[in-house]
Amino acid sequence: MIAQEGQYRDWMLAALGGDAAAYRMLLAGLTRHLRGYYARRLDNGAAEDAVQETLIAIHTRRATYDPALPFTAWVYGIARYKLIDEYRRHKRRATVPLDEARDLFGHDEAQEAIARRDVSKLLDKLPPAKRQLVKDIKLDGVSVVDAAARTGLSESAVKVTVHRAIKTLGEGLEERDADR
Amino acid sequence: MRTDDLIAQLSDGLEPVKAGTVTRTLLAALALGLAGSVTVMLLAMGLRPDFHAAMASFGMWMKLAYTLAIALLGVWLVARAGRPGADMAKPILLLAAPVLAIALLAGLQMAAPGADMPGQVIGHSSRICAFLVILTALPSLVAGFWALRRLAPTRLGLAGAGAGLLAGGMGAFVYCFHCQEGAAAFVAIWYTLGIALTTGIGGFLGPRLLRW
Repeated sequence: MIAQEGQYRDWMLAALGGDAAAYRMLLAGLTRHLRGYYARRLDNGAAEDAVQETLIAIHTRRATYDPALPFTAWVYGIARYKLIDEYRRHKRRATVPLDEARDLFGHDEAQEAIARRDVSKLLDKLPPAKRQLVKDIKLDGVSVVDAAARTGLSESAVKVTVHRAIKTLGEGLEERDADR
Repeated sequence: MRTDDLIAQLSDGLEPVKAGTVTRTLLAALALGLAGSVTVMLLAMGLRPDFHAAMASFGMWMKLAYTLAIALLGVWLVARAGRPGADMAKPILLLAAPVLAIALLAGLQMAAPGADMPGQVIGHSSRICAFLVILTALPSLVAGFWALRRLAPTRLGLAGAGAGLLAGGMGAFVYCFHCQEGAAAFVAIWYTLGIALTTGIGGFLGPRLLRW
């Protein structure tokens, strides 16, 4: 059983009865889970679009929720459907990730934010030029060719720089863990 | 639009949802589909001439029970397929029950002393039976898709196949009132073929027509 099931189900039942305040809390709560879920599976812009798309789907199809069944499974079914729909639209990949309702409700935005903050803290230890390269290639998905063109370095120099920087970061991480 | 604004917009002026909305949609689809299938059967094929005598025969009631069981499992599957997160395994697995029952009955009839085995299998209408079942099923197929489009299917192929199963079962049920065959082997083969083809058509159309 997923921890949020009871609270969300109560809000949903109230919302089906017309309680707008409960509905607002429900949608705000679900938005946090949906952001985390899509952020890990889609590009930035597409992720927020998918969140909104899913909220609208939840709204327009809310009559299909059967109170005899778990509410979190219902939301997860819709979230996953919208994810597959997004993949299909961009023909990004034919296969669909194996996941389950726990993956939607297990994480939320707060944890994502902490993870992101940790990464940027770590990156701050690098000199600015290297930091930009690592950020472009490892986090933002810029190709080595593009990064080389942008910085004026050769492709192999870009690769070596990123490789060394990651190594430095790894050492920094080990030191930090040893300090604890 | 910002997501916060969207949430505000969706929750302002929230209308209550009447209980049983999904059930009413399904019942409406069933009624419309049944009416359509009956109309097709009466206009394109006609009621069997020996209708009154047939209603007293074992073969007729066997056909009606078999096809109705499949239609009801189809309704169950569509009801599940239209709700995100609902498990569809049970209606699919239970489908084995009517199919095994009719196969067993067919075996018993064919093994009876003096049984006309080829006659039981081929009958008089084996060439057109499956086709006529599909034709009779079409209005119910349309109704099933209409219902699913108002629900929230998340596995479109399976949902479409469910609508096909419902329509195939329903179409075959209505077709019983035209068809004069009464052997279990005939029903087990040709009716089942018509239902299976309708299910396949539904499964093929699902991903194409049910996206939302």
